[in-house]
Amino acid sequence: VRFGLPVAGPGRRAAAWMIDAAIRAAIAGVVILCAVIGGLATKGATQGIVLLILFVLEWGYYLFCETLFAGSSPGKRALGLRVIKEGGFPITLLDSFLRNLLRAADFLPFGFALGVIAMTIDGRCRRLGDLVAGTLVVVEERARVGQPLAFHFSPEELETLPRRPPVSADELEAIELFLRRTGTLSLAREAELAQMLAPRLAARMGLPDDKSARLLALIYARVRGTGAVAKP
Amino acid sequence: MIAQDQFVAARRAEWEELERLLGKGKRLHALPPSEISRAAALYRALCADLMRARAARYAHELTTYLDGLASRAHNALYVAPPPRWDVALALFTRDFPRTLRRRARLLLVAALLFLAPGLFGFVGALRSAEFAARVLPEATLVELDKAYAKGFDEGRDAGSDGAMFGFYVWNNVGIAFRCFATGILFGLGSVFFLLYNGLVIGTVLGAVMRAGHGRNILTFIVGHAPFELTAIVIAGAAGLQLGLALIDTGGRTRLGSLRAQAREIGVLVAGAAAMLAVAAVVEGFWSPSSVPAPIKWAVAAGNALAVALYLGGAGRAREPRS
Repeated sequence: VRFGLPVAGPGRRAAAWMIDAAIRAAIAGVVILCAVIGGLATKGATQGIVLLILFVLEWGYYLFCETLFAGSSPGKRALGLRVIKEGGFPITLLDSFLRNLLRAADFLPFGFALGVIAMTIDGRCRRLGDLVAGTLVVVEERARVGQPLAFHFSPEELETLPRRPPVSADELEAIELFLRRTGTLSLAREAELAQMLAPRLAARMGLPDDKSARLLALIYARVRGTGAVAKP
Repeated sequence: MIAQDQFVAARRAEWEELERLLGKGKRLHALPPSEISRAAALYRALCADLMRARAARYAHELTTYLDGLASRAHNALYVAPPPRWDVALALFTRDFPRTLRRRARLLLVAALLFLAPGLFGFVGALRSAEFAARVLPEATLVELDKAYAKGFDEGRDAGSDGAMFGFYVWNNVGIAFRCFATGILFGLGSVFFLLYNGLVIGTVLGAVMRAGHGRNILTFIVGHAPFELTAIVIAGAAGLQLGLALIDTGGRTRLGSLRAQAREIGVLVAGAAAMLAVAAVVEGFWSPSSVPAPIKWAVAAGNALAVALYLGGAGRAREPRS
């Protein structure tokens, strides 16, 4: 089965990075605070441990998270991002190692400038590290199925349309998007939008074009087969 | 073709069940077996639904939803095999030295890029104090003079050993990683870091020897140098390979060439990182200890031999002939 995996853009990834950066800074802050409070007796050794932890935070944080949480660090998870291999497979330890080492190159000369340039040029928004490791950052969408659109048309009214109205799939999609928004639009705006499509469809089917919005709903109902049974 | 809303009404319960299974917070394989196989069955049904919705050209909103759910289910069901210890071990005992021997020419180039400016800095600093002052900041030179004037006959207290160990890991491994990563700029970053580090290390050595503390500094560095300097050169070589993969693509696209060598490069850097970790232990705890100098020299010779044997010989048995 083919299913689309929308790649994540720079903005979303930057937001995820900021969350991760905040987490790392918080951990580092706590560690340093503990060291300052508790480490006065063994001053040198504590410094060593602090530096080790800082090293792990700088170079190992993403490696650790991406391996442990199947490709998403806490920041990525918060924004619904996940790192995957180009074929849609999960990433391996070595992939994560490579892509996160190359963070140092993507960061150059400052603030991930090179990475953003690479993402802009690349069709799939990959930074240098992704290019080398063969990984992608994708958005895991959590869309909802909306409630089915409910119409109250009588069978006679539906019969005024051809059994299979001559509407293209794109037009139908436009109609659906329009119908789902009708509750949030002012009446004037609704009429204005409906006017963009309805007259053409009306002309095609030889129907009068007086109530544009209603006509669109009618066409939609006819095609989708809902509302075929009239409400009493 | 059935109407979209009938389709949704008929299938919705299963989608929501799958969603519940995925949203349990636990990773899927931690769930009871019955639920895992249920999730797998639901996923397959979902795939069929997705195809059907696409073919019937149902509303965009619906296909987006099914798409998202399918990809989440796919990611939950097909997780990477957990890292295996024997594979990780083989990376160091076999893959790393083998890869390095295959890339011996690149290693040689990296070594030259590192040693030539090192020698230049060493000779320059040895001959004139002005030279060292131009390469290194004044404060560093004063620090160096203080650090090596005393020698290590009394050792260092354990606390500062620990501090320095942490510092070496943080600083040296970081340098090696950057030296590698910047190789993506057609190798230029690695070339720069190799030249620069070579020059600085050579100059430091020359300046301290000029000040008359040659015995102290040499006794200090010989212990860990076999690990540390070799590892920096290896990281540089990996960076050069990265850059070279972009230039000499061997008939592939640049990206394809990079991809084909990515594993080798990753193995090299992982090996270099491990060597640097060893170097940091030696540099932090052994090199500054009060052990008499002759013993340190003997151990240093042993270390150098060990590194040479490891890189030259490990994994030779059953090595595939190429």
